[in-house]
Amino acid sequence: MALNYDPNLIGKVFETTDAVEVKAERVQSFCETLGETNPLYAEGKVAPPAYAVTFRNGRHFFQHVPRFGRAGFDAGKDVEFVRPIRAGDKITLSSHVKEIYEKTGRTGTMVFVVVRSTLINQDGQEVAHIDHRFMSRT
Amino acid sequence: MKTFADVHIGDTLGPVHQFVSKDQCRKYANSAGLPAARFTDDDGARKEGLPGMILPGNMSLGLLSKLVTDWIGADGGARMIRLSTTYRVPVQPDHTLTLQGFITHATEAERTAEIDVWIENEEAERLVTGTATVQFDR
Repeated sequence: MALNYDPNLIGKVFETTDAVEVKAERVQSFCETLGETNPLYAEGKVAPPAYAVTFRNGRHFFQHVPRFGRAGFDAGKDVEFVRPIRAGDKITLSSHVKEIYEKTGRTGTMVFVVVRSTLINQDGQEVAHIDHRFMSRT
Repeated sequence: MKTFADVHIGDTLGPVHQFVSKDQCRKYANSAGLPAARFTDDDGARKEGLPGMILPGNMSLGLLSKLVTDWIGADGGARMIRLSTTYRVPVQPDHTLTLQGFITHATEAERTAEIDVWIENEEAERLVTGTATVQFDR
């Protein structure tokens, strides 16, 4: 079954978030929730790599993302860590729909929407690329 | 400091046995801006058809990221440059999770190691699987 969506939305960036400053206290709190004790991260000056996935799209972004079937779930992520995130960095995030595809498995047909987010710091340097795979059952 | 010479295909990371409480799951969810009922409240999660609270996918990613960065160590010498995760089965808190990794490839020219990583429950069921790439300094 062909998926019904506007192919022109693939690759289109709908919005870029306002810059969010990375606070050492927030990095420390994040580390505590994961049991992180490595002083490189636990002191809050450098964020552990997984901190990159805590940056969120604006609330309007998902208005532009097509929905298929029942409520979607987070199916996984592919994260490329380009450079470390440090306390004091100001991070913006811009996202676009990278890909939409369908898979049929033992449990039925699933639709995957892949949203690619790019994190950029205050110097215009790319910090991370994150492909979020959202899965819905049709 | 870990170096590329320390990398051998077949070497393992872990196993690390980690009990994740509901309170820890709630703290992560709130810290990461994911205060949805499915991550914070058993009754709310059941209303969504889940067996109870589950860990955010990002938290599972964080635990696997920590497995790899702990293996790298605090002295540096290497950096995780990529981590991909697939959420196969919801991960429930108040259980002891086992985190493991296995080095599958080493590429001399790029000084990289590819590591399969995963999270198991007490029944040795793989809940989350993934692949990490670590790049060593020259």
